[in-house]
Amino acid sequence: MTVDLPDNMSMPAASPEIFQQLGVLTRQLHDTLNMLGVLPGLKHTVDDLPDARSRLNYIATKTADAAEKVLNLVDTAKAEQEHIAAETRKLAELITADPVKAVASGAVYNFVQDVEATTHRVDGHLTDIMMAQDFHDLTGQVVAKVVTLANDLETQLLKLLVQAAPPEQAHKVEAALTAHPTFDPENPTLEGPVVSHDGRTDVVANQSEVDDLLASLGF
Amino acid sequence: MSNPVDMKFLIVDDFSTMRRIVRGLLKEIGYNNAEEAEDGAVALNMLKNGKFDFVVSDINMPNMNGFELLKAIKADDALKHLPVLMVTAEARKEDIVLAAQSGAAGYIVKPFTKATLEEKVQKIMQKITAAA
Repeated sequence: MTVDLPDNMSMPAASPEIFQQLGVLTRQLHDTLNMLGVLPGLKHTVDDLPDARSRLNYIATKTADAAEKVLNLVDTAKAEQEHIAAETRKLAELITADPVKAVASGAVYNFVQDVEATTHRVDGHLTDIMMAQDFHDLTGQVVAKVVTLANDLETQLLKLLVQAAPPEQAHKVEAALTAHPTFDPENPTLEGPVVSHDGRTDVVANQSEVDDLLASLGF
Repeated sequence: MSNPVDMKFLIVDDFSTMRRIVRGLLKEIGYNNAEEAEDGAVALNMLKNGKFDFVVSDINMPNMNGFELLKAIKADDALKHLPVLMVTAEARKEDIVLAAQSGAAGYIVKPFTKATLEEKVQKIMQKITAAA
Protein backbone atom coordinates (compact mmCIF):
# COMPACT_ATOMS: atom_id res chain seq x y z
CA MET A 1 0.00 0.00 0.00
CA THR A 2 1.34 3.48 -0.80
CA VAL A 3 0.31 6.69 0.89
CA ASP A 4 0.77 10.17 -0.49
CA LEU A 5 2.27 12.38 2.19
CA PRO A 6 2.18 16.17 2.15
CA ASP A 7 5.37 17.82 0.87
CA ASN A 8 5.94 19.72 4.10
CA MET A 9 5.71 17.33 7.09
CA SER A 10 6.93 19.93 9.59
CA MET A 11 3.86 22.04 9.13
CA PRO A 12 3.01 23.28 12.68
CA ALA A 13 -0.70 22.68 12.50
CA ALA A 14 -1.47 19.54 10.49
CA SER A 15 -4.84 19.57 8.92
CA PRO A 16 -7.63 17.47 10.52
CA GLU A 17 -7.63 15.38 7.34
CA ILE A 18 -4.11 14.10 8.07
CA PHE A 19 -5.09 12.94 11.57
CA GLN A 20 -8.16 11.34 10.16
CA GLN A 21 -6.10 9.57 7.50
CA LEU A 22 -3.57 8.38 10.13
CA GLY A 23 -6.42 7.09 12.26
CA VAL A 24 -7.89 5.19 9.33
CA LEU A 25 -4.49 3.70 8.46
CA THR A 26 -3.86 2.63 12.06
CA ARG A 27 -7.28 1.01 12.25
CA GLN A 28 -6.69 -0.76 8.93
CA LEU A 29 -3.31 -2.06 10.13
CA HIS A 30 -4.80 -3.24 13.41
CA ASP A 31 -7.74 -4.96 11.73
CA THR A 32 -5.53 -6.52 9.09
CA LEU A 33 -3.07 -7.90 11.64
CA ASN A 34 -5.92 -9.26 13.73
CA MET A 35 -7.51 -10.79 10.66
CA LEU A 36 -4.21 -12.46 9.75
CA GLY A 37 -3.95 -13.84 13.26
CA VAL A 38 -0.56 -12.24 13.83
CA LEU A 39 -1.36 -9.61 16.43
CA PRO A 40 -2.67 -11.81 19.24
CA GLY A 41 0.50 -13.95 19.17
CA LEU A 42 2.73 -10.93 18.85
CA LYS A 43 0.94 -9.16 21.68
CA HIS A 44 1.37 -12.20 23.91
CA THR A 45 5.10 -12.23 23.18
CA VAL A 46 5.49 -8.51 23.71
CA ASP A 47 3.63 -8.81 27.01
CA ASP A 48 6.36 -11.19 28.14
CA LEU A 49 9.12 -8.64 27.52
CA PRO A 50 8.92 -6.97 30.96
CA ASP A 51 9.27 -10.47 32.42
CA ALA A 52 12.39 -10.98 30.27
CA ARG A 53 13.83 -7.72 31.64
CA SER A 54 13.13 -8.89 35.16
CA ARG A 55 14.81 -12.22 34.40
CA LEU A 56 17.88 -10.52 32.93
CA ASN A 57 18.10 -8.33 36.03
CA TYR A 58 17.95 -11.47 38.14
CA ILE A 59 20.87 -12.95 36.19
CA ALA A 60 22.90 -9.75 36.55
CA THR A 61 22.26 -9.61 40.30
CA LYS A 62 22.93 -13.31 40.87
CA THR A 63 26.23 -13.33 38.96
CA ALA A 64 27.42 -10.08 40.57
CA ASP A 65 26.58 -11.37 44.07
CA ALA A 66 28.35 -14.67 43.42
CA ALA A 67 31.47 -12.95 42.07
CA GLU A 68 31.63 -10.55 45.02
CA LYS A 69 31.02 -13.31 47.55
CA VAL A 70 33.78 -15.51 46.08
CA LEU A 71 36.30 -12.64 45.94
CA ASN A 72 35.56 -11.71 49.57
CA LEU A 73 35.94 -15.32 50.69
CA VAL A 74 39.22 -15.66 48.78
CA ASP A 75 40.52 -12.51 50.51
CA THR A 76 39.56 -13.91 53.90
CA ALA A 77 41.04 -17.35 53.16
CA LYS A 78 44.27 -15.79 51.90
CA ALA A 79 44.61 -13.77 55.11
CA GLU A 80 44.19 -16.99 57.12
CA GLN A 81 46.85 -18.70 55.00
CA GLU A 82 49.25 -15.80 55.44
CA HIS A 83 48.70 -15.94 59.20
CA ILE A 84 49.61 -19.65 59.30
CA ALA A 85 52.66 -19.05 57.08
CA ALA A 86 53.89 -16.28 59.40
CA GLU A 87 53.30 -18.39 62.53
CA THR A 88 55.16 -21.30 60.93
CA ARG A 89 58.19 -19.10 60.26
CA LYS A 90 58.14 -17.84 63.86
CA LEU A 91 57.95 -21.37 65.26
CA ALA A 92 60.78 -22.53 62.98
CA GLU A 93 62.97 -19.77 64.43
CA LEU A 94 62.06 -20.76 68.02
CA ILE A 95 62.79 -24.44 67.37
CA THR A 96 66.09 -23.61 65.67
CA ALA A 97 67.15 -21.42 68.60
CA ASP A 98 66.09 -23.77 71.42
CA PRO A 99 63.93 -26.84 70.65
CA VAL A 100 63.39 -27.76 74.31
CA LYS A 101 62.27 -24.26 75.23
CA ALA A 102 59.97 -24.14 72.19
CA VAL A 103 58.11 -27.18 73.47
CA ALA A 104 58.29 -26.32 77.18
CA SER A 105 56.99 -22.77 76.67
CA GLY A 106 53.91 -24.11 74.94
CA ALA A 107 54.79 -22.44 71.64
CA VAL A 108 54.55 -25.73 69.73
CA TYR A 109 51.26 -26.68 71.35
CA ASN A 110 49.76 -23.22 70.72
CA PHE A 111 50.89 -23.42 67.09
CA VAL A 112 49.20 -26.79 66.58
CA GLN A 113 45.98 -25.44 68.09
CA ASP A 114 46.20 -22.37 65.89
CA VAL A 115 46.71 -24.46 62.72
CA GLU A 116 43.75 -26.67 63.55
CA ALA A 117 41.41 -23.71 64.14
CA THR A 118 42.62 -21.81 61.08
CA THR A 119 42.38 -24.76 58.68
CA HIS A 120 38.87 -25.40 59.97
CA ARG A 121 37.92 -21.80 59.10
CA VAL A 122 39.60 -22.03 55.67
CA ASP A 123 37.68 -25.24 54.98
CA GLY A 124 34.46 -23.33 55.76
CA HIS A 125 35.47 -20.59 53.30
CA LEU A 126 36.14 -23.21 50.61
CA THR A 127 32.69 -24.72 51.21
CA ASP A 128 31.11 -21.28 50.87
CA ILE A 129 33.03 -20.74 47.61
CA MET A 130 31.68 -24.05 46.33
CA MET A 131 28.12 -23.09 47.35
CA ALA A 132 28.43 -19.73 45.58
CA GLN A 133 28.69 -21.63 42.27
CA ASP A 134 24.96 -22.41 42.50
CA PHE A 135 24.43 -19.26 40.43
CA HIS A 136 25.31 -21.35 37.36
CA ASP A 137 22.29 -23.62 37.80
CA LEU A 138 19.87 -20.84 38.82
CA THR A 139 20.84 -18.35 36.11
CA GLY A 140 21.11 -21.13 33.51
CA GLN A 141 17.44 -21.97 33.98
CA VAL A 142 16.49 -18.29 33.66
CA VAL A 143 18.63 -17.87 30.52
CA ALA A 144 16.71 -20.76 28.93
CA LYS A 145 13.43 -18.92 29.60
CA VAL A 146 14.70 -15.72 27.97
CA VAL A 147 15.99 -17.67 24.96
CA THR A 148 12.51 -19.19 24.57
CA LEU A 149 10.97 -15.72 24.60
CA ALA A 150 13.49 -14.43 22.04
CA ASN A 151 12.69 -17.39 19.79
CA ASP A 152 8.93 -16.76 20.12
CA LEU A 153 9.39 -13.08 19.28
CA GLU A 154 11.51 -13.94 16.27
CA THR A 155 8.88 -16.39 15.01
CA GLN A 156 6.07 -13.88 15.42
CA LEU A 157 8.02 -11.15 13.63
CA LEU A 158 8.89 -13.50 10.78
CA LYS A 159 5.20 -14.40 10.41
CA LEU A 160 4.40 -10.70 10.27
CA LEU A 161 7.08 -10.23 7.65
CA VAL A 162 5.63 -13.05 5.52
CA GLN A 163 2.20 -11.44 5.60
CA ALA A 164 3.51 -7.97 4.79
CA ALA A 165 6.16 -8.85 2.18
CA PRO A 166 5.55 -8.23 -1.55
CA PRO A 167 4.54 -11.48 -3.34
CA GLU A 168 7.85 -11.76 -5.18
CA GLN A 169 9.78 -11.65 -1.86
CA ALA A 170 7.39 -13.69 0.26
CA HIS A 171 8.88 -17.08 -0.60
CA LYS A 172 12.31 -15.96 0.66
CA VAL A 173 10.86 -14.87 3.98
CA GLU A 174 8.84 -18.05 4.22
CA ALA A 175 12.01 -20.09 3.74
CA ALA A 176 13.60 -18.17 6.61
CA LEU A 177 10.58 -18.88 8.78
CA THR A 178 10.79 -22.60 8.08
CA ALA A 179 14.46 -22.51 8.99
CA HIS A 180 13.58 -21.13 12.43
CA PRO A 181 11.04 -23.46 13.99
CA THR A 182 9.34 -22.31 17.17
CA PHE A 183 11.24 -23.42 20.24
CA ASP A 184 9.32 -26.10 22.09
CA PRO A 185 10.17 -25.99 25.83
CA GLU A 186 10.77 -29.35 27.48
CA ASN A 187 8.18 -28.75 30.13
CA PRO A 188 6.28 -25.46 30.00
CA THR A 189 4.50 -26.16 33.25
CA LEU A 190 7.67 -25.80 35.31
CA GLU A 191 8.56 -22.24 36.22
CA GLY A 192 12.21 -22.38 37.34
CA PRO A 193 13.72 -19.92 39.84
CA VAL A 194 11.40 -17.16 41.10
CA VAL A 195 13.07 -13.97 39.89
CA SER A 196 10.81 -11.69 41.93
CA HIS A 197 8.59 -12.53 44.89
CA ASP A 198 6.74 -9.19 44.69
CA GLY A 199 3.00 -9.76 44.79
CA ARG A 200 3.36 -13.55 44.58
CA THR A 201 1.34 -15.62 47.03
CA ASP A 202 1.61 -18.88 45.09
CA VAL A 203 5.31 -19.39 45.80
CA VAL A 204 7.47 -19.82 48.87
CA ALA A 205 10.19 -17.29 49.64
CA ASN A 206 12.55 -19.52 51.60
CA GLN A 207 13.17 -22.98 53.07
CA SER A 208 11.29 -22.30 56.32
CA GLU A 209 8.12 -21.58 54.29
CA VAL A 210 8.58 -24.93 52.54
CA ASP A 211 8.90 -26.67 55.90
CA ASP A 212 5.85 -24.85 57.30
CA LEU A 213 3.76 -25.74 54.26
CA LEU A 214 4.69 -29.42 54.43
CA ALA A 215 4.17 -29.51 58.21
CA SER A 216 0.71 -27.94 57.82
CA LEU A 217 -0.20 -30.81 55.49
CA GLY A 218 1.11 -33.44 57.88
CA PHE A 219 4.29 -34.29 55.98
CA MET B 1 20.74 -51.90 56.13
CA SER B 2 24.37 -50.94 55.63
CA ASN B 3 26.11 -48.41 57.82
CA PRO B 4 24.63 -44.96 56.97
CA VAL B 5 28.03 -43.56 55.96
CA ASP B 6 28.35 -46.33 53.35
CA MET B 7 24.97 -45.53 51.80
CA LYS B 8 25.06 -44.96 48.07
CA PHE B 9 23.53 -41.72 46.83
CA LEU B 10 22.34 -40.88 43.33
CA ILE B 11 22.47 -37.14 42.60
CA VAL B 12 20.18 -36.14 39.70
CA ASP B 13 20.48 -32.65 38.18
CA ASP B 14 20.92 -31.38 34.62
CA PHE B 15 23.54 -28.85 35.79
CA SER B 16 26.93 -30.44 36.48
CA THR B 17 27.81 -27.54 38.80
CA MET B 18 24.90 -28.34 41.08
CA ARG B 19 25.71 -32.07 41.03
CA ARG B 20 29.25 -31.26 42.16
CA ILE B 21 27.96 -28.94 44.88
CA VAL B 22 25.58 -31.58 46.27
CA ARG B 23 28.28 -34.23 46.01
CA GLY B 24 30.78 -31.99 47.83
CA LEU B 25 28.28 -31.21 50.58
CA LEU B 26 27.34 -34.87 51.05
CA LYS B 27 31.05 -35.63 51.42
CA GLU B 28 31.37 -32.95 54.09
CA ILE B 29 28.33 -34.35 55.88
CA GLY B 30 30.02 -37.75 55.85
CA TYR B 31 28.64 -39.56 52.81
CA ASN B 32 31.39 -40.35 50.31
CA ASN B 33 29.56 -42.84 48.13
CA ALA B 34 27.67 -40.95 45.39
CA GLU B 35 27.04 -41.20 41.67
CA GLU B 36 25.52 -38.66 39.29
CA ALA B 37 22.84 -38.58 36.58
CA GLU B 38 21.98 -35.65 34.28
CA ASP B 39 18.23 -36.30 34.01
CA GLY B 40 15.44 -38.54 35.25
CA ALA B 41 15.70 -41.05 32.42
CA VAL B 42 19.41 -41.66 33.00
CA ALA B 43 18.76 -41.81 36.75
CA LEU B 44 15.98 -44.38 36.44
CA ASN B 45 18.19 -46.60 34.30
CA MET B 46 21.01 -46.35 36.85
CA LEU B 47 18.63 -47.08 39.72
CA LYS B 48 17.35 -50.22 37.99
CA ASN B 49 20.85 -51.45 37.30
CA GLY B 50 22.69 -50.51 40.48
CA LYS B 51 22.16 -50.69 44.18
CA PHE B 52 21.39 -47.24 45.52
CA ASP B 53 20.13 -46.22 48.95
CA PHE B 54 19.17 -42.56 48.54
CA VAL B 55 18.16 -40.24 45.67
CA VAL B 56 18.69 -36.46 45.64
CA SER B 57 16.86 -35.03 42.62
CA ASP B 58 16.24 -31.75 40.84
CA ILE B 59 12.78 -31.26 39.24
CA ASN B 60 13.18 -29.15 36.10
CA MET B 61 15.24 -31.40 33.81
CA PRO B 62 15.03 -32.48 30.15
CA ASN B 63 13.88 -35.94 28.99
CA MET B 64 12.37 -36.96 32.32
CA ASN B 65 11.77 -34.38 35.00
CA GLY B 66 12.00 -34.91 38.75
CA PHE B 67 8.26 -35.44 39.24
CA GLU B 68 8.23 -38.14 36.56
CA LEU B 69 11.29 -39.77 38.12
CA LEU B 70 9.71 -39.67 41.58
CA LYS B 71 6.50 -41.27 40.29
CA ALA B 72 8.47 -43.93 38.37
CA ILE B 73 10.46 -44.80 41.50
CA LYS B 74 7.35 -45.05 43.66
CA ALA B 75 5.59 -47.18 41.03
CA ASP B 76 8.44 -49.70 40.90
CA ASP B 77 8.32 -52.42 43.56
CA ALA B 78 12.09 -52.79 43.50
CA LEU B 79 12.70 -49.05 43.97
CA LYS B 80 9.75 -47.64 45.91
CA HIS B 81 11.54 -47.99 49.26
CA LEU B 82 14.16 -45.44 48.16
CA PRO B 83 13.97 -42.05 49.86
CA VAL B 84 13.86 -39.23 47.31
CA LEU B 85 14.91 -35.75 48.44
CA MET B 86 13.89 -33.03 45.99
CA VAL B 87 16.41 -30.15 45.62
CA THR B 88 14.92 -27.65 43.20
CA ALA B 89 14.36 -24.01 42.23
CA GLU B 90 10.62 -24.73 41.82
CA ALA B 91 9.08 -22.68 44.63
CA ARG B 92 5.36 -22.90 43.81
CA LYS B 93 3.34 -24.25 46.71
CA GLU B 94 1.43 -26.59 44.41
CA ASP B 95 4.73 -28.16 43.28
CA ILE B 96 5.81 -28.69 46.90
CA VAL B 97 2.47 -30.28 47.79
CA LEU B 98 2.54 -32.45 44.66
CA ALA B 99 6.05 -33.68 45.55
CA ALA B 100 4.95 -34.58 49.08
CA GLN B 101 1.82 -36.34 47.83
CA SER B 102 3.88 -38.24 45.26
CA GLY B 103 6.07 -39.68 47.98
CA ALA B 104 9.07 -37.33 48.23
CA ALA B 105 10.95 -37.71 51.51
CA GLY B 106 11.88 -34.02 51.63
CA TYR B 107 11.88 -30.79 49.63
CA ILE B 108 14.66 -28.18 49.50
CA VAL B 109 14.39 -24.95 47.49
CA LYS B 110 17.46 -23.53 45.77
CA PRO B 111 19.47 -21.60 46.70
CA PHE B 112 20.05 -23.64 49.85
CA THR B 113 22.70 -23.94 52.56
CA LYS B 114 24.88 -26.79 53.75
CA ALA B 115 22.96 -26.73 57.05
CA THR B 116 19.63 -27.24 55.25
CA LEU B 117 20.88 -30.21 53.22
CA GLU B 118 22.47 -31.75 56.30
CA GLU B 119 19.30 -31.33 58.36
CA LYS B 120 17.04 -32.88 55.70
CA VAL B 121 19.39 -35.80 54.94
CA GLN B 122 19.86 -36.61 58.65
CA LYS B 123 16.12 -36.40 59.27
CA ILE B 124 15.46 -38.90 56.47
CA MET B 125 18.29 -41.12 57.76
CA GLN B 126 16.70 -41.17 61.21
CA LYS B 127 13.38 -42.26 59.71
CA ILE B 128 15.11 -45.02 57.73
CA THR B 129 16.96 -46.21 60.83
CA ALA B 130 13.78 -46.13 62.94
CA ALA B 131 11.86 -48.13 60.30
CA ALA B 132 14.63 -50.74 59.91
